[in-house]
Amino acid sequence: MRLFLHLVKLSILEQATYRTALVAGLATNFFWGLFRAAVIVALYNGRSEVNGLTLEGAITYIAVGQAMIAFLSLFGTFELMATVYSGSIASDLIRPTPLFFLWMARDLGHSLVNLVIRGVLLLGVFALFYPIALPETPLGWGWTALSLIIGWLVSYAWRFLVNLAAFWTPDARGIGRGAFALSQLASGFIIPLRLYPEWFSHLCYLTPFPAMFNTGMEVFLGALSGGQLVRALGVQLIWFLGLVLLSQWILRAGIRRLVIQGG
Amino acid sequence: MRRQFSLYLRLISIQLRSQMQFRASFWTDVMTTGLLNFSYFFSTYLVLQRFGSIAGWTIAEMAFLYGMIEISFGAMDMIFSGFDPDSFSRFIRQGLLDQVLLRPVSVAVQVFGSAFVLRRLGRITQGALVLAFALINLPVHWTPLKLGLLPVMWVSQIMAMGALFMVGSTLTFWTVQRVEAINILTYGGVEVMSYPMTIYPRWMRGFFTYLIPFIFLNYYPALFILGKPDPLGLPAFTPFLAPLVGGAMLFLASRFWRLGLSHYQSTGT
Repeated sequence: MRLFLHLVKLSILEQATYRTALVAGLATNFFWGLFRAAVIVALYNGRSEVNGLTLEGAITYIAVGQAMIAFLSLFGTFELMATVYSGSIASDLIRPTPLFFLWMARDLGHSLVNLVIRGVLLLGVFALFYPIALPETPLGWGWTALSLIIGWLVSYAWRFLVNLAAFWTPDARGIGRGAFALSQLASGFIIPLRLYPEWFSHLCYLTPFPAMFNTGMEVFLGALSGGQLVRALGVQLIWFLGLVLLSQWILRAGIRRLVIQGG
Repeated sequence: MRRQFSLYLRLISIQLRSQMQFRASFWTDVMTTGLLNFSYFFSTYLVLQRFGSIAGWTIAEMAFLYGMIEISFGAMDMIFSGFDPDSFSRFIRQGLLDQVLLRPVSVAVQVFGSAFVLRRLGRITQGALVLAFALINLPVHWTPLKLGLLPVMWVSQIMAMGALFMVGSTLTFWTVQRVEAINILTYGGVEVMSYPMTIYPRWMRGFFTYLIPFIFLNYYPALFILGKPDPLGLPAFTPFLAPLVGGAMLFLASRFWRLGLSHYQSTGT
């Protein structure tokens, strides 16, 4: 655990070095937020509520989505597959920490820096342009935080799993691009899932992707309460555990095939 | 001039041959690129099933806006691959531009010839399919003028977006690192132009009318071709400004490129 925290700290320091990149990323996410909010306003076209989602709620959903891009790495990560191709994964496999936790620590550090700088800051600036609906009670904040943390875990486990494709094919990048496009679409990041037609959102609910982002947002907006809330968090957790088990099983098969060229 | 052009073709053919070395890998790349880009239109399509229209634009009309700008951006992204700020900044960082400057051929020709990312075909194809969907489902009353405007739009959009790539690359002469904010205009520009411009707040529309005149490249020609009334009440010749805007942007960008080149200081590696 101490080792894990130390790795997280290193990763925070690494990420915090790239300040201009952080600000540039913030500006880009912010612009896309304004653009997407304009699309939502035009879609609502005067309606105050669509399928239980108010206009203010939908705009908040979009804004938080932009704020969380970097925290949840919604566009995907490709670092692990790069180490398979370069062979540096060998030195990671020798370490006493399991690969899953090693990358989790590295990932978490980056995510935390991005949560503060590209997340909180973005929402703050965005609130100057559009009204943002925040959770109303401390308990609401607590549930939101919990759901976002599990969302992060699901996102991490999914990205870990996708990266394992590199053990089998030299085209893991292409596979990753496709897989991450799918998770963007079905997690609600592009458009809140409630705004899709029923048949499509029900299809999405069968996948682990809503657990990454949509569930957290429903909790954020206070759309879930009581039994529904507990059930939603439980589903998130089950997806996380499922993805962990699947990725561990695949990792073991992958390592067995792994050949590293010396040199 | 002819020598430069044949040299350009030679450089491109080398690029194409090397990219086609791994056939299977190449085609999966084309497929995933196409699907990835298509997922954005797909989500618009789904959402419009619930909402019906956006700012008075039906799904087929939206498909026209989207398909048009996608085939332009895809083609631009292929032709101007060398000027993609992401890859060009590597030229600067690694000092590769020094070699380029030593050769007795125009720098622009060499940069154009340095990359030609063929897998953008995926993006172009999905754009073309969406555009075909639009044209089949739209009751457009075709006239020679409207038919002629289509290729003009295409070329104008390629020139305008290419100009932005060029500006993004030129900036790296000073910054060395790529300037991510240019993505707001390039990749962001594509998204902005794939919606009717009236949906944006006043200040944003002003920005895309007077500063970066995206509004004349896709929205106005589309209004004319689809026979929709102009809610902003600009003069009747406005739909035909696209080539002027595209040409002017590319001209200014190439002047800026030359200025940047004369300020180039090698990173000295």
